[in-house]
Amino acid sequence: MEQLCGTDMVPNIPNVLQRSLQSYSKQRCLSLLRRGQRDPNGNYIFSSRPRPVETRSKFREPPPEQYPAQPDPAEVQRQQENRRRAIARKRAREELRTRSAEALRGRRHIDVQTENYLEELGDLIVATDIECQTDAFLDRPASPLFIPAKSGKDVETQIEEGELFDFDREVQPVLEVLVGKTMEQSLLEVMEEEELACLRAQQRAFEELRNNELAEVLRLQEQERRHREEKERRIAQQKEVLKKEKEIAEKIAARAYTKQFFSDLLPNVFTSLRSHGYFYDPVEKDIETNFLPWLMVEVNNSLERRYTARNLLDNIIHDAVHKRLEMCRDTRSKSPDPGLNPRSSSLPGRTQPVRLSGLINDRHVAPV
Amino acid sequence: MAGALTDPTLAPVAFGRRAVPQLFGDLLQPETRTRLRALGQALLASCLLPPLSQLLDDSSSSCRRSVHCVLSRLARLPAGAAALLSLVPKLMLKLREHEEHEEEHEEEHEEEVLLLSTISSCSRLDALPALASDGVSLLGRKLSHRSPYIRREAAGALMALSVCEDGRRQVCEEALLPVLVRLLQDEDMEVQANAAGVIMYTGIITAGKQRCLDLNVVPVLLDLVSREEQEEEERRRRKALVMYSLRALSSLAEAPAGRRLLLEQLPLLVRRSEAAEEDQDVRRAAQTAVRVITWTP
Repeated sequence: MEQLCGTDMVPNIPNVLQRSLQSYSKQRCLSLLRRGQRDPNGNYIFSSRPRPVETRSKFREPPPEQYPAQPDPAEVQRQQENRRRAIARKRAREELRTRSAEALRGRRHIDVQTENYLEELGDLIVATDIECQTDAFLDRPASPLFIPAKSGKDVETQIEEGELFDFDREVQPVLEVLVGKTMEQSLLEVMEEEELACLRAQQRAFEELRNNELAEVLRLQEQERRHREEKERRIAQQKEVLKKEKEIAEKIAARAYTKQFFSDLLPNVFTSLRSHGYFYDPVEKDIETNFLPWLMVEVNNSLERRYTARNLLDNIIHDAVHKRLEMCRDTRSKSPDPGLNPRSSSLPGRTQPVRLSGLINDRHVAPV
Repeated sequence: MAGALTDPTLAPVAFGRRAVPQLFGDLLQPETRTRLRALGQALLASCLLPPLSQLLDDSSSSCRRSVHCVLSRLARLPAGAAALLSLVPKLMLKLREHEEHEEEHEEEHEEEVLLLSTISSCSRLDALPALASDGVSLLGRKLSHRSPYIRREAAGALMALSVCEDGRRQVCEEALLPVLVRLLQDEDMEVQANAAGVIMYTGIITAGKQRCLDLNVVPVLLDLVSREEQEEEERRRRKALVMYSLRALSSLAEAPAGRRLLLEQLPLLVRRSEAAEEDQDVRRAAQTAVRVITWTP
């Protein structure tokens, strides 16, 4: 590829120009374009003013920071952008470029050179390799210290002993302060320790007193508790005794009452039993139950018989008398003879049979 | 750090939230411990107790020791004791672990001492959690430890526990009284005082009285009471011991057997109660004892 040194003149470089558009920066290509012109023959010439080589750093650039393989995403994106833009630009330019019309059927367009001098066209570009090897890049040496050039006049001075200040005198206030502070500090510490010791002693004394009083209090408490428990126990005992006594009194009262209640129970019982007839003489009972009724029955029977006999007799007598009366009557009625009735006793009339029957009809049960 | 001491209410709150957990993360230095004491209320307020209790299980012993130190100092405040009540079961567990390990090192002892003091401070407020975790038997076993500090603290904790009715009963049941009577003749005065305190509380219930009298504790107590000390200092230190012994004697005098024994010793107690140079409290205690002994229904 051609160097941009400005002195070469390559006649036909449309391809080259295109390639350089691709490979070099836009800036450079533009500069290239400015330099290219046509000479009166119509050939393309390139000329430029000689210019010095651009200063480039002799040394290697400081090594880039060790990024991972993938460069900054922004960088990557920018590069991609550039690429895309370049491609787009190329495509645009391709589209804008006027082309010749398409070939008709059966024909074919080919490129033909029409210059005076034919040239072999080939895609192969005549290239010669020229190498030039620079030395290996050296690391940038450290910049030398900047020692400014001496300017001004040298002046020197020497301080003798005792001229500037008197150490012993000057150091005194400083020392005083130092020592004073140290002393103060230590005094404070000592005081603090003493205070603490004092506090501790006080605390200890207090603790002793407290223990003492506490022991006393606890002892009294314990004593109180014991007394109280004893009292309670005694009260309970007393209550027990009282309860028992009451129980016993109740029992005694109950017993006395019961005794009194039932004292004439027995006589009463016997009396009532006796009065109800539960105590009986069996012989008497037997006599009463069996003998006497029989006796009475027999007596009744015999009396009945007697009565019946008497009744019968009475009836007979009555009948007899009645008949007599009838007979009498009859006879009387037949014959009014007052002395015909031998049988009729000198009865005073009708009243006598009445009287007799009355006598017989009397049911006097005279003792036989 | 100076701020923590001069203005404990304001400065350490910001200090505590940020720096205390961080401090606790490393091995604590002794001076940090003393500073942390001042944080007291701030600690409670900033709810650092859960992480503190987690630190109890830390592997480094000095860290644990510092935590115990902090806890025991916290427990001295009533608010602190109230807050630490919830930790008591865990502390009892720790105590049991100590017992199982049976370490020989002095640091372990120190830790145990602090632990016991925390437990006793908390139990003074409310003895129920410690009792519920079977505190009496645990502490009873500690009573026969080698180190006098542990004995002292264990006896102190036991005294706090025996304030409660349940505790007293358990002390009797666990047959700790012989051990306590033996401790009455210990060298360390604090141990003696605490043991006398436990006996004083236990003697309140009838079973305790019986046991104590069976163990013939009256002469021992009388001996403790009757020892006169000339020095003011000594007397001050003995004060607790004397008072507890007197109270124990008062409670024992309620039993007929004890009363008989003490009637013989009445003059001694009368003397103690009349003595002019005695402390007011001691005198009062002696008078109570005399009153109890000479009480007739």
